[in-house]
Amino acid sequence: MSTAPRKLTLDEWDARYAELKRAGLREPFYGGSLRRHVLLDSDLRLRHLRFDSSMASLRLWNFLLTENERLAQARAQGGKIVGTMKDLGTVPVMAYSLAGVRAFYPDGAWWTPCLMECSDGLLQQSETFGIDGSFCPVRAMLAAFQNGEHFPQPDLLICSSGAVCDDFSAIAQRLEKMGFPIVWWEMPRRREPEPGETACALPGNLKAPQIQVECVRAELARLGKVLGEMAGLPLESGALAEGIHEANRVRRLLAALRQVAYGSPGAPLPALEMLVAEMLAIHFCSDRQETIEVLSGLLAEAEERLRRGHCIIPEEAVRVFWVNPVADLRAMNLLEEWGGRVCGSDYMFGHALELIPEDLPPLEALARTALADPMVGPTMDRARRIAADCRAYRAEAVVVSRIPGASHCAREGAIICQFVRKELGLPAIELEIPPICDAMLPTLSSRVQGLLETARAGR
Amino acid sequence: MIQVFYSSPWVPPEWIKAHGLEPRGIWFAGDLAPLPLAAGVCAFAEAVVRLAEAHPDSAMIFSTHCDQLRRGFDVVTVAAVEHAFLFNLPATWQTGVAEQIFASELERLGRFLVKLGGQPPTVEALADIMARYRQARSRLLKAAAHLPARQYCEAVARFHWDGSVHLPEKAQPAGANAIPLAIVGGPLPTWQGNVLDAIESAGGRVVLNATEAGERSLGRAFSPNRAPVAACTLPDLLRLLTRSFLDDCVDVFQRPNTRLYGWLEERLAARKVRAIVLWHYVGCDLWRAEAQPLREAFGLPVLLLDSQGAAGDAPRQSGRIEAFLESLR
Repeated sequence: MSTAPRKLTLDEWDARYAELKRAGLREPFYGGSLRRHVLLDSDLRLRHLRFDSSMASLRLWNFLLTENERLAQARAQGGKIVGTMKDLGTVPVMAYSLAGVRAFYPDGAWWTPCLMECSDGLLQQSETFGIDGSFCPVRAMLAAFQNGEHFPQPDLLICSSGAVCDDFSAIAQRLEKMGFPIVWWEMPRRREPEPGETACALPGNLKAPQIQVECVRAELARLGKVLGEMAGLPLESGALAEGIHEANRVRRLLAALRQVAYGSPGAPLPALEMLVAEMLAIHFCSDRQETIEVLSGLLAEAEERLRRGHCIIPEEAVRVFWVNPVADLRAMNLLEEWGGRVCGSDYMFGHALELIPEDLPPLEALARTALADPMVGPTMDRARRIAADCRAYRAEAVVVSRIPGASHCAREGAIICQFVRKELGLPAIELEIPPICDAMLPTLSSRVQGLLETARAGR
Repeated sequence: MIQVFYSSPWVPPEWIKAHGLEPRGIWFAGDLAPLPLAAGVCAFAEAVVRLAEAHPDSAMIFSTHCDQLRRGFDVVTVAAVEHAFLFNLPATWQTGVAEQIFASELERLGRFLVKLGGQPPTVEALADIMARYRQARSRLLKAAAHLPARQYCEAVARFHWDGSVHLPEKAQPAGANAIPLAIVGGPLPTWQGNVLDAIESAGGRVVLNATEAGERSLGRAFSPNRAPVAACTLPDLLRLLTRSFLDDCVDVFQRPNTRLYGWLEERLAARKVRAIVLWHYVGCDLWRAEAQPLREAFGLPVLLLDSQGAAGDAPRQSGRIEAFLESLR
């Protein structure tokens, strides 16, 4: 059912949900009204967000907001749960290749303070572990591990180290000292092959020397063994190949969705729902098959809207390329309220959107994809990719959103902004978005509107 | 002769020296001075970037042991600083992969040094230099217990600067009634040595300097059974160098960082340390996160002492040190 799209408040969604139910709405097992997440889970931020009005988006939100319950159900049914940290898209592909195993990112707890408008107390509790406000909001996961209220305790914890953010690495180390054992694996900082070195092609038109691919492949083989031991069955190459194939189904759907949503003159889906949809790539929100269903629904909705000429954001909106995920989801609404739209994104996990090569041995393919992580390579590689995507999606401006306390943000924003200004002549700004950005609205508003006005003037 | 600055004590200076170039550990650099900073940028990492930019005829070896330096390398490559190298220091050490990464980085560094004008090392030259550095580290380790903090800090930094060991003949140790402290943490370049003076004038005695280029950077004198022997080949020596650095590296960036704690535990107990000063730059998450684990692990009071690399830091730091020591009396 596709009607003219609108953005709805939570109250408006209540009315729409009742109307849909009367009309015979059929939902998956995790379905229901959005309101219940406020009432039962204290996801208070939902009261201040604007949602897309489609059933596909309702399904997306319900899928996202029921992850904890679904993980608990999986555990109750005897499934194994892997907590994987920092690699954003690699280890889950391996975990889901094993029957009865699910992987999730405890890092995802960084959005809990936003969703619960800090009523969860996670950030304050993390301070009692010595991790204060000078660290990235991902510190919320420390308290979430301790109180066990936001995700089940994983059977196995895996974390990448090496070329990772210091704040994250420090927080994960703190977690281990709190009594949560971690299997660490090494991710070297990606570099260009030098003369005389064998070069390997990576997804995303990148390259790395073979020795780095070999090292990552060996580390992934070690992790495969650990995962197999936990699952009670070895991770065979055939199963991993099948897991890669399924992960690629998700990635193809996302590629199609991004093309439709970002490439069209007006936006058929809002930025907020697109951000959530993209996040599904990294660990399938703990259910790979359902991720495929959710994304298929969104894609069908977006295509249908385009066919009918129904865009939720008009063509006049300034096309903004957005870099880094926002700690406060509301920021994506605000951009659109102020006259912009997202026409392309780099939410720090570009490698999880790339197809994993299926014509290579599975571990080799996964190693190459892991090395294509925008956060483990030179910032200039990321800047070049952003500039290329800005061209492809006809961006008129760039926003690099800073994550408070994140070590990568100290340097990368300036490099990226400088590069897109020089290469494309686009206006670019950095914005710091805290978990609840309400207090900063005047500053954010003036900075974003200044950017949008500059972009409009350049038309 | 070309100077090759290096920014981590876990990049072997003997490898640079064996190429006929001058390794210069940056903790002794005179022009590593305070600078205006952009939000979130570590003052030390910024100083390293500026040092690289200010010395176009020299080379700078960054390392991946911290995100700020890793990305500092990105900054200098954007600025087209020609002679910069990023050494990939593995955070793990327990696996063959870590060894493979370290060894291959040494080889790659060797190629970089040759491109700079260095000579590929001979077995004899490398073995001789490794033996000399090993001996120098041993001498410095032996001096750790009896030298005043500032002099010791400068002696180790000097060693990292030019490989030499300058120890005063007669050391004037701090008063016997002074409170024995450990200073633990990130880089403490000599121009910030006033922090050590402040500790001693407030009635403390630094009996363990476990900052980046302090006693900790000397390893365990690089294990006596790892002395190069006459029959070594160049690959043997490289393996030896790799193993020595991987085995002796004790640092906060390692995952897990249990070796750092093991190393500290032994020395804190042996030297009867009563409190820890945790020294770090603002923005250094790796060290800042260790304050509470250090308290929990050793049951000692810990003072977080941070620096923005600014001249105005000193009064605030002195005040904190004085109050800390007063509370320990």
